[in-house]
Amino acid sequence: MTNKNYIAKDKLGNNKALEKQREMKDKEIKEKNTTPKNIILSIKNASYRYSDALEDDYALRNVSFDFESGKMYAIRGRSGTGKTTLLSLISGLERCTEGEIIFDGKSLKNMNLDKFRNSDIGIVFQSYNLLPFMTASENIILSMDVSGLKIKNKKEKAIELMEKVGLKESYADRKVLRLSGGEQQRVAIARSLSYNPKMIIADEPTGNLDKQTETEILEIFKKLAHEENKCVIIVTHSQNVCDSVDVIYDLKKVKEESDK
Amino acid sequence: MFILKNAWISIKRNKGRNILIGIIILIIACACTITLAIKNTAGDLIDSYKSAYDKEVTISFDRASLMKDFDPSQREERENAREKFDNIASYTISDIESFADSDYIENYYYTYGIGLNGNNIEKAEIESNNEMPNGFGHGKENNMASTDFTLTGYSSLEAMSEFINGTYTMKEITDNAWDIAFDGNYVFINEELANYNNLALNDKIILEDTDENTYELEIIGIFKENEDETQEAMSMFSNSANTIVTNAKAVIDITNSNEDLKATIYPTFIIDSYDNVEKLQTEFYEKGLDENFVLQTNEEIALSGVSSIQNINSFATTFLVITLIIGGIVLFVINMINIRERKYEIGVLRTIGISKFKLTMQFVLELVIVSVVALILGAGIGAVSSKGVSNSLLENEINSSNERTEEIGKNFGGDNMNGGMPNRGNRGEMRGKGMPVVEAYDSIDAVVDIKVLLELLGIGIALVLVSSIASMVSIERFSPLTILKERS
Repeated sequence: MTNKNYIAKDKLGNNKALEKQREMKDKEIKEKNTTPKNIILSIKNASYRYSDALEDDYALRNVSFDFESGKMYAIRGRSGTGKTTLLSLISGLERCTEGEIIFDGKSLKNMNLDKFRNSDIGIVFQSYNLLPFMTASENIILSMDVSGLKIKNKKEKAIELMEKVGLKESYADRKVLRLSGGEQQRVAIARSLSYNPKMIIADEPTGNLDKQTETEILEIFKKLAHEENKCVIIVTHSQNVCDSVDVIYDLKKVKEESDK
Repeated sequence: MFILKNAWISIKRNKGRNILIGIIILIIACACTITLAIKNTAGDLIDSYKSAYDKEVTISFDRASLMKDFDPSQREERENAREKFDNIASYTISDIESFADSDYIENYYYTYGIGLNGNNIEKAEIESNNEMPNGFGHGKENNMASTDFTLTGYSSLEAMSEFINGTYTMKEITDNAWDIAFDGNYVFINEELANYNNLALNDKIILEDTDENTYELEIIGIFKENEDETQEAMSMFSNSANTIVTNAKAVIDITNSNEDLKATIYPTFIIDSYDNVEKLQTEFYEKGLDENFVLQTNEEIALSGVSSIQNINSFATTFLVITLIIGGIVLFVINMINIRERKYEIGVLRTIGISKFKLTMQFVLELVIVSVVALILGAGIGAVSSKGVSNSLLENEINSSNERTEEIGKNFGGDNMNGGMPNRGNRGEMRGKGMPVVEAYDSIDAVVDIKVLLELLGIGIALVLVSSIASMVSIERFSPLTILKERS
């Protein structure tokens, strides 16, 4: 079902068809079609409250989403609906105060979150978060080192990843500050792929990029989801991004329901 | 491994800051090396000085105790005090041997004195008063005050304290004097007595007791008393002009031949530790020592010569502590700034999954690499400088120690004299004979030895740990997401 939708969208290739699809998606909010065996990440009644917040002041409340491998998801919502909080919970940067998150059948509560971050998921940020004093390839190799990846020629692998995201080999030895925003974001994506994670989480990955570059980056994510069977989750408030994904989760609606 | 690689990359990247940290650690290391070397040398000197003195205990009459609550205006009290004073027991050599049989005592020696008159020699006339003796056996039966000469017998070389402390200096001595001095009827006499009676080495003198028994003694040495100016002005002869020095065995033989002769014993006990003096005193009382006697040590004298070295040692310690405190604070602050500047890097590394432990290790490793290089350089510079600095600081003390060593040798007749001093070629042997010899230092080797290096290593580790606290705490507290949000 998912692949069909994707192929259909791809084949249409014009604005009318895109519009039609957008309407379809907005109606669906399509968790219903999820096949249980493909679920890679499951959020079950997750809530988060900052340690210094009041008892009833939740940054995120009762969120339950499932994510499948091979699909691209968008989590959207206005400011204050808990997008970034949800991202930090999914990426293991914070732990739920209530509820739980299951990754590949295991609760994050029982996992080493550092290991989870450096092996199971790749994170891409709006502001790239590359180390500016390193070259593009060094940033990617560092990530391989942190994950404990044992391959002979890490630089070769880094160049391979860079080419995969549309960067030439000659960029490998450039300091990242000498790269454009789009190029830096590609390096960040290549870094997140360096240890072949099952899931990519991106926080407004195209927020700082122009339209053309945004489209190119989204294409990369699509390929990762649909061709490499990765689960790609993009936190965004960009309609353009929402138009490109397979499933949209709207935190605004979740918040409204939990506030009731 | 990648931690080391990252640490190295960071060091190269932050050259300026790391050079600054390196310079600070280098200065600290240099100062610490010099200070530790001085402390070591001063410590060695103090130990040497202390060990030059045996831990001596003598038995003294406790006048203060006897005079306590004494009212001289009351006739009854005066009589009681006199009676008490007169009843103080006389002790014999066997008593001393009994006292010396203690776990706290390592060795003992004594001076044994009796009063005799001259037979073939005349007393050098003096104007000084006869002093009340301080030793055992003084009392109404003591006969020294009424005789011409005091024959003082030393049990061993260690007992010859007047020669050790410089009161007497040997002027002339026979070749084999020290071989026979402690066994037989041989004596050392004052040069004033020798001049007064026209006596020379190898002459024989005859003394007699009150019962007119005579005792022949051979002169094997002539000594001189080193008086102070006031004493010289008060009398024609020195106090020791009529003191004849011999060995204890000779005096014991004389007292054994006439039971009426009462001798005075001045024992000195060498103890294992000054801490045991009170226990020893209790043991002596249990063995029969009169409670009007107390034990006194030479601890104060033993330490008096090293006060200036101790001052330098204290100064070095204070300097070391201040250097470490200031250095530690400066390093801590620099690392605090370092961490703040690298907050973003910490956020990124934490986000891509590096553990807090590994990240902390990376920061500590950076500091360790810089510190090791700076410590090696600092220790090298410090080692080169320490000798000169410590030499100039301790020179006076060393000189006076060496001079003292030489003086003691001379007091026993060393240098340019026939008899020389006992075993004078070997300081160790001299020490064995009880002579307080301070280990001679030709120059001060304020050496940066393994001890200093280990101490320096300890200081280096402490500094790294102290200055790493900032990074440890920060890495523990920083939330990567917050850091990255702030950056965004």
